[in-house]
Amino acid sequence: MNLRVETRTPREGVAVIALSGEADVYTSPRIKQEIVDLLNNGTTKLVVDLTSVEYLDSTGLGVLIGGLKRARERDGDLKLICDNLRILRIFEITGLTKIFDIYRSESDALEKL
Amino acid sequence: MPDPKPLAEVELSIPSRPEYVGVARLAILGVASRMRFSYDEVEDIRLAVGEACTRSIDRLNGGSDQPIHLRCLIDANRLTIEVRSKLSSAPPSAEPESPDAEKGLSDVLIRILMDEVDTEERAEEGIYLLRMVKYVAR
Repeated sequence: MNLRVETRTPREGVAVIALSGEADVYTSPRIKQEIVDLLNNGTTKLVVDLTSVEYLDSTGLGVLIGGLKRARERDGDLKLICDNLRILRIFEITGLTKIFDIYRSESDALEKL
Repeated sequence: MPDPKPLAEVELSIPSRPEYVGVARLAILGVASRMRFSYDEVEDIRLAVGEACTRSIDRLNGGSDQPIHLRCLIDANRLTIEVRSKLSSAPPSAEPESPDAEKGLSDVLIRILMDEVDTEERAEEGIYLLRMVKYVAR
């Protein structure tokens, strides 16, 4: 199992980064690079879709926190899509549900950006 | 502390590199799945072991080719996992992606997911040991 990163731009200035597979210490640098590249290219409103993520560790969480911080520094935002209870639990037990906006669907996340 | 004689023991050594953490997770998934843990508990153990290995790699900071050793002690009512690595002689990581925050998250995850956690630094042997226990629900 590895990680797949697919990015779409549903509208100008907005990107949806869909991840599938495992977001861990090995694969998270790729997520970070994708986020950094988008922000450097002026796309500051990001949605990270975790729907198909089967495994997420503290390194993956760290990359998402870093992405949120960088996006907000540029007057942007980073929102999450997740309906996987296992992954949601990781956000809950680490207290990260307080800093991330997590939606069940892409349309909900895009509407709030 | 584990009993002197567990029912079974499984040992695994992996290189202290990120691409091998998944191997340790797969192995522990196999071990925990053979015990009377629920699906969620098996997933908790898998994540805790991944975090423990990641911490070892972070601590070594690429400064060691020494492997990470995992030892699983299987008892009827609990699984004890020891994760042993070399104490690092390398300087702390200079990675700017808030490593302290990640380490904090890692600690929180391990302590919440497992029932008992303790760490030990054996300076004279140059060893860092993290021991975690998960009990089978009665």
